[in-house]
Amino acid sequence: MRTSAPSLTRQNLFCAAALGLIVLSAPFPMLQAVLHAALVLALAPRTESPLFGTLWALAAGWALEGTLRLYPHLGGTAWADMTLTLLASWMVGRWPLEGLKGWWVRLASLSLLHALLVHGAVRLATTSHPWGWGWFWTLLSVPLWGWLTWRLLHAGPSSGRR
Amino acid sequence: MALRAIRWGWSRAVWQRLALVLLWLGHGVWVLLGPSPARHWTSLVDALSRPSQSLATRWEGWRAARRDSGQTLAATRAENARLTQELAQIRTLTAQQAPRLAEAEEAKQLLGLKQQIPMALKAARVIFSTRPATFGGLILDRGRDLGLEPDQGVLVPEGIVGRLWSVSDTQAKVLPADAPNASVAVMLTRSRATGVLQGLGSGRAAIRYVSNQEVVQTGEAVLTSGLDRVFPRGLLVGYVGEVAQGDLELRVIVNLSAPLDRINTVLVLPSQPPLEVQPPFLAPEPKPQRKWGTP
Repeated sequence: MRTSAPSLTRQNLFCAAALGLIVLSAPFPMLQAVLHAALVLALAPRTESPLFGTLWALAAGWALEGTLRLYPHLGGTAWADMTLTLLASWMVGRWPLEGLKGWWVRLASLSLLHALLVHGAVRLATTSHPWGWGWFWTLLSVPLWGWLTWRLLHAGPSSGRR
Repeated sequence: MALRAIRWGWSRAVWQRLALVLLWLGHGVWVLLGPSPARHWTSLVDALSRPSQSLATRWEGWRAARRDSGQTLAATRAENARLTQELAQIRTLTAQQAPRLAEAEEAKQLLGLKQQIPMALKAARVIFSTRPATFGGLILDRGRDLGLEPDQGVLVPEGIVGRLWSVSDTQAKVLPADAPNASVAVMLTRSRATGVLQGLGSGRAAIRYVSNQEVVQTGEAVLTSGLDRVFPRGLLVGYVGEVAQGDLELRVIVNLSAPLDRINTVLVLPSQPPLEVQPPFLAPEPKPQRKWGTP
């Protein structure tokens, strides 16, 4: 059984809220990493309008790096976010969602790929840098934010699924 | 509405697609450029020029090594020539110093002999040798100026040489013990038999008046007996070389121990020395007390 797509307005509102939380959670890097992954991998991807999702991912990447202010050349995270959002959008169209467990698996896989791509892009834009533990907390909390985004986007009142 | 795959059409969405592609590519280029865009080109040029740089480095290193080796060879040759010259100089100096060293060594031995014999010995240098001639001898550089008189004994550390035959004001002639007209009172070490040594020439002499009853062995030492009042008792004369039975006496041939042909300095005994000369008592030198902690 396939799930219904969320409305664009609702999705944009959630993306805006997540972006604000990313900026506000700058003093808490682990929480910021989780919010960043949720926005890029779960909230931003959409099939109907990939450009808007890409813009949200772009904003998420710049917001993250802008609040960190650690790199000599910003933009690597934003480019990786755009790429992953496009990939997630393509996956949504190619393999439509059918349940929460599949959603978790997809988010976990995308989280790993996202961590690798962000690290590579930042290394390409600047130089070698430490990995940090954001990817670990992101992967560890996939069930939490995966369930939350599932309830907000795909199982909300508009879709009729709880 | 079920989710379905996105359809990339050529209508309204083409601009969005174009904007998306441009955004993604532009951002990728921005990421690739990095903080210093020229570094990629620099890295590329560096990578391309690395082989030629390596070859140039090796070529320059080879040339430097060749130049250094050439300089090293030249320096080594110069040093070799200098050392060869120094070696030749040292050899010449050694050859020049050799006679002086020999004289010094001889003087050292004479000094030791002088300390062993408690008599007023006088030293003189041999300035000429007429031994190859008939009735030849040794010419000393000192004569009456040193208080020398005829019939004074002459000796060297190896043994007796002879006696003074004639003395002038500044020179003296030594009659060696192997001269045919020389005679020295001697005795044999083991048998204590006495006799008279008469020269045979060429560093040899014969002992006369030794009875056939005496037992004389080859190699036995022959000492002065002191009976001629020229030499005191106990000075080494030579060693028995041959022993043969004669009609009335033994024929004993003695090889003189003093190298009569290679003498440079001699000691002259005083006239009429005492018959017996005891060597002075020399107390052994006490060993220095070594204290703990001293090297």
